[in-house]
Amino acid sequence: MIEAIAAAVTWLGASLIVLADGRRGLALGVALATLGLSVVVWQDAGPVPALLLAAGGGLAAGGRAVAGPAGWGLMPPGSTPRIVLSVGAGLLALWIALGITSGPGGALRFAVLTLVGMAVARVLSTESAEVQLTAAAVVAIAVAAAAGLDANAPAVWPSAAAAFIAAGTGWLRLGVPRAA
Amino acid sequence: MLPEAEELLVLVAAGLVFAFVFAPTAIPRRSLVIQGGAGVVAGAAIAVVPTFDLALLVLLGLGTVDAAMGGLRTFAVRMRAPVLAVGIFALALVFLRVEGPDVLARFAAVGLVAGLAAAVGLLPYIHPFEADEATPASPLVWTVFVGPLLAAVVVARAQSFIPVDAGEAFAAMLIGIGLLNMAWGAIAAWLTASKEAAWRYSFLADWGLVLCGFGLTLLDGRRAAMLILFSIVTCRLPLYLVAREPVEKRSPTEGPLNLLVAAALAGSAPFVGFAARVLLLRGATQLFWPLALVIAIAMLLWLPGSFRLGRSMGLPRGRQALGVAIVLAVNVVAGLYPLPLLTVAGL
Repeated sequence: MIEAIAAAVTWLGASLIVLADGRRGLALGVALATLGLSVVVWQDAGPVPALLLAAGGGLAAGGRAVAGPAGWGLMPPGSTPRIVLSVGAGLLALWIALGITSGPGGALRFAVLTLVGMAVARVLSTESAEVQLTAAAVVAIAVAAAAGLDANAPAVWPSAAAAFIAAGTGWLRLGVPRAA
Repeated sequence: MLPEAEELLVLVAAGLVFAFVFAPTAIPRRSLVIQGGAGVVAGAAIAVVPTFDLALLVLLGLGTVDAAMGGLRTFAVRMRAPVLAVGIFALALVFLRVEGPDVLARFAAVGLVAGLAAAVGLLPYIHPFEADEATPASPLVWTVFVGPLLAAVVVARAQSFIPVDAGEAFAAMLIGIGLLNMAWGAIAAWLTASKEAAWRYSFLADWGLVLCGFGLTLLDGRRAAMLILFSIVTCRLPLYLVAREPVEKRSPTEGPLNLLVAAALAGSAPFVGFAARVLLLRGATQLFWPLALVIAIAMLLWLPGSFRLGRSMGLPRGRQALGVAIVLAVNVVAGLYPLPLLTVAGL
């Protein structure tokens, strides 16, 4: 039950990243996605990877909360495709995680598929560097969480690396583009 | 670390040193060291890390750093390909790790090839070109410095964790994408209006040969892929850098040197590209002879583009002339006696 709720929170966070353009909305999206995924990872891979991912996602959310377009920027005009993406990606991930694939770890499968799919779609569809960096942080966390799907793969080192990358992308400040 | 990766790492590092010493003054040395060096270091990290998950995170980190360093293309444009590659690789890993129908493993095989194409910048995920962009800020970092090591790692990992049925799909995808890049890259290098774009398409054509070599799943194929990667790093890259001299300082010429350069780029004997092509055709003949016929026809497409690129070199002088001479000599030696290269790579 906890895993299912956590997976739903992950989808909510990913949806916020898809639907928001402002720094508050993006930061809340990263925070929710990380919170949900960390709980799922805790259940499947133990506390150390979960805490590492939570730390990385928390730092990314903190960095995004203080830099980027002001406000929430939730569902600006023309957001219908993004809403469709949020709902459609969630349903597709749910179908693959519970209908196509089998075995334990259904919540982790759903969370990883949702995060990777929606974050990559967001990176491809926006011109905003801040939005892309936010989505990249989430992709890093999801890649590390996916290591938990393999019982033989160590989850700690990918989690530590993902935390470092997520925190780095959250606090990265871009200068003015320059001609070479 | 894989023996192939060790050799490729030495080669790309040597390619970077060559670029630093012999590239025209128009290419900023500081950017070359920083962005090229970041590519070499990331490539080494990709080859060294114990799990593929860590390799993906290295790739994502490099993509972010490379995009943040700037250039003529915007951050958003530069960021897309690496993140797309990591996302596709991640989905492929998920499909390989979960229980489910056999078709999931085939989707994973497709994802591994698609991710590799996206990371290197091959069709159908070609990185956008900006003809005026400085070389270190261009997609060349991915094509030349990171790509060879990533390809070696992906192919080696795929052999260990893809089931046999999906392995056939993986090989077929490599050959299919390879043929697409060979044909498209060679024809575009011949017909495109821009000289810069022609050079970059020629890298794609060579990468098509590499993918075909890896896809043959025979020793000859892997040997051919290794030699083509050697040719990309030690022949096409340095010649491209020399050809980057500003237009006003260089006019197309048709001297003996240009003919030699064209022959080296086209993979004629006695250059290393010829040995690679012979190995590739021999492997393809063993596997399925009509494939060898298609590859042989595609190889002919290198000729007109290579003559064009050879002419665009003009007549190098001074340090650049010495660099071109070294490049041609190294490629002749490797073409006449490639065995040491292959032995060091464990092939």
